Amino acid sequence: MHELSLAMEVCRVLEGQLSITQQTQLVTVSLEVGTDATVEIANLQFCLDALLSQPPFRGATVRLTPVAGEDLRVAYLELDDERTAPVGAGGGEYGGPTD
Amino acid sequence: MAVRRIDVRERVMARNDELAAGVRRRVDAAGVAALNLVSSPGAGKTTLLERTLDDRGATLRMAIVTGDVQTANDADRLAAHTDQLVQAVVTNGGCHLDALQVTNAIEAISLDALDLLILENVGNLVCPAAWDLGERFRVTLCSVTEGEDKPLKYPKAFAQADLVLLTKIDLLPHLRLNLGALEANVRAVNPHAKILRVSAESGEGMDAWYGYLDRAVRGARGATAVLGGSR
Repeated sequence: MHELSLAMEVCRVLEGQLSITQQTQLVTVSLEVGTDATVEIANLQFCLDALLSQPPFRGATVRLTPVAGEDLRVAYLELDDERTAPVGAGGGEYGGPTD
Repeated sequence: MAVRRIDVRERVMARNDELAAGVRRRVDAAGVAALNLVSSPGAGKTTLLERTLDDRGATLRMAIVTGDVQTANDADRLAAHTDQLVQAVVTNGGCHLDALQVTNAIEAISLDALDLLILENVGNLVCPAAWDLGERFRVTLCSVTEGEDKPLKYPKAFAQADLVLLTKIDLLPHLRLNLGALEANVRAVNPHAKILRVSAESGEGMDAWYGYLDRAVRGARGATAVLGGSR
């Protein structure tokens, strides 16, 4: 039920990373999902797919890996330096977990 | 295509937890006991607080932040029982309060003039469990009409509780509930939580609840918490 809040928090983390890497295109987002994190993986996948279809993340795919523990963590990103992010990148719309 | 990988290793909840730590620092510095009330919808959080304000409002200075998906109904109900501040957070679809909402809500509250800050979370036994609000004590309510197995079905909400209130015990004569089994199920997921049986309708058990609040307030004013708050 709160997976959209979590997905928006993921986007906030991604925006921070993309602001560091400038206009580089995000290709893959890998997350570790704790088995005790009260996260429904299919639901989180759905929410992230929806949010990552929008600029500045357009085209990025999501990999969710169950791990032991309570944490939900952005593990790593894959970036394509030869592709630039879509016009309008910069975001700022994921400022808070409002679900 | 020149794809490169960068390791991030960032907890998604890190920002919420930083904000929650900020709330905790502020209420601790003011000597205020902060409680987060969690339950399913209709377990009796607002009715418990109405009675608490009626019975103890003259001696305990309480501010309340209510969280609801829509309407300020709970805040309006509670405001009729107190002259002190009741802040309504309408989450507009959100299934829980978060630390940013609490941070903003307490901006309007004079913490130095308070004994207790009570956060009445959105009615939901799943999502609020994942979000630290900066409270010192988490209180999970379970009404006796909900059946014996809720602690087993929603373990995290009970496992994190410092106190479990079994509410609406005035209804027990009308129910086929094994109260001992309900308490055993709470113990199965949380051996350390204090359990109290209360009825805000009849008043039974409310003195024990008030005793808990009094000790929480004394603990917040003192150097060490006396109730073993886990946060």
